[in-house]
Amino acid sequence: MREPLGLLWAALGASGFAVLFDLRLREVPFAAAGAAGGWWLYSAVGAASSEAAGYFAAAAFIGLYAEVVASLRKRPAAVYIVSAILPIVPGGGMYYTMLNSVRGDLYASLGTGFETLQAAGAIAAGLAVSSALSRLVSLDRLARRLKGKA
Amino acid sequence: MPQTERLPDPEEILLLAADAARVVLESGGETYRAEETAAAVCSALGGVEAECFATPTGIQLSFCGLDGKVRSIVRRVKTRSMNLDRQARLNALSRDLYAGRLDFDGAARELDLIERRRGYGLPVSLTAAAVGTASFTLLFGGRWNDALVAAAVGALLSRLTRRLARRGIADFFTNIVGGAVAALLCLGAERLGLAASADTTIIGVIMLLVPGVAITNAIRDTIAGDLVAGVARGADAFMAAAAISIGAGGAFEAWRFLGMGPL
Repeated sequence: MREPLGLLWAALGASGFAVLFDLRLREVPFAAAGAAGGWWLYSAVGAASSEAAGYFAAAAFIGLYAEVVASLRKRPAAVYIVSAILPIVPGGGMYYTMLNSVRGDLYASLGTGFETLQAAGAIAAGLAVSSALSRLVSLDRLARRLKGKA
Repeated sequence: MPQTERLPDPEEILLLAADAARVVLESGGETYRAEETAAAVCSALGGVEAECFATPTGIQLSFCGLDGKVRSIVRRVKTRSMNLDRQARLNALSRDLYAGRLDFDGAARELDLIERRRGYGLPVSLTAAAVGTASFTLLFGGRWNDALVAAAVGALLSRLTRRLARRGIADFFTNIVGGAVAALLCLGAERLGLAASADTTIIGVIMLLVPGVAITNAIRDTIAGDLVAGVARGADAFMAAAAISIGAGGAFEAWRFLGMGPL
């Protein structure tokens, strides 16, 4: 049940939060599609290899997707990244880590804390890679355009 | 470029640039974007050299005008809430300025409009909160009845936190109250047989408060070399998670103390 419907819930959840973040309704479908794609990649890669690889792949995909949509729609990529990344972002992990330490369970807290940090690190690395890649590519395009005009 | 009546004073340019950067940060934009916006405004309107240093809680901008004098300004950023529409409009503003499609007066007017724009009305944001929390509950393995409870609690919680934030109550306290309210309502729903699993429902609802994007951005900033911003955002995320868990943990304890059932 989780696999096919999960994409729908990821897309709907991201849409709901995108509207809460004041994203215009016209842009919401783009964020929702990115969220569904990211969630699919996270589940597929996460199952085939490790959780961290799943986070990394999903974040890299969402970053690249957002850069492409951003250049088409003339908006900053962050607008799409923030909403599309929500389903995979380790907010629950942060909560469980602190909840375990509030309850005084040191080992559970350390365990969830480590997993949370690993997830956040993998996502951040994925986003960093995609933004570096897009910068390289668009620099090339800019250079070519300038040459064409001169 | 449209002809201006007068050239703006360097002081005016400085103020406009600092305000633009402040609004970027207040709308949840990245620190480097605030710095870029300030620099774009300055250089588009006639600064010789502008340098901006932004952290999530403040901006320092120094600016050297055509007259060769150095001026600087400091702006504090006290409230931060994610507003993607404002971010997109600010981005367009600095791009238009840079391309010469806007002059000083036009930019000042546009910034004023951006700051005063109102968000979605109550029905839309309540629906969005309900849909968002219900979907995340289902995504994290909840059942249909859990999702319905999450939708109701989520809509209520989004109202409550916004109300508290508008009263000027510190985020830390807002998060404690939010965590406690979410936990108590979900436990109550489980007790009444409305929800199958309070835990799954709580995590879906608490997505409204939880700093998942913040912790990811903290690491992104650090990777990008904005070390001060990264550490500041990390501390922010850490304190938010701590506050939510203090609220929720307290609610769990109270629930057990009152003998309302096992955790």
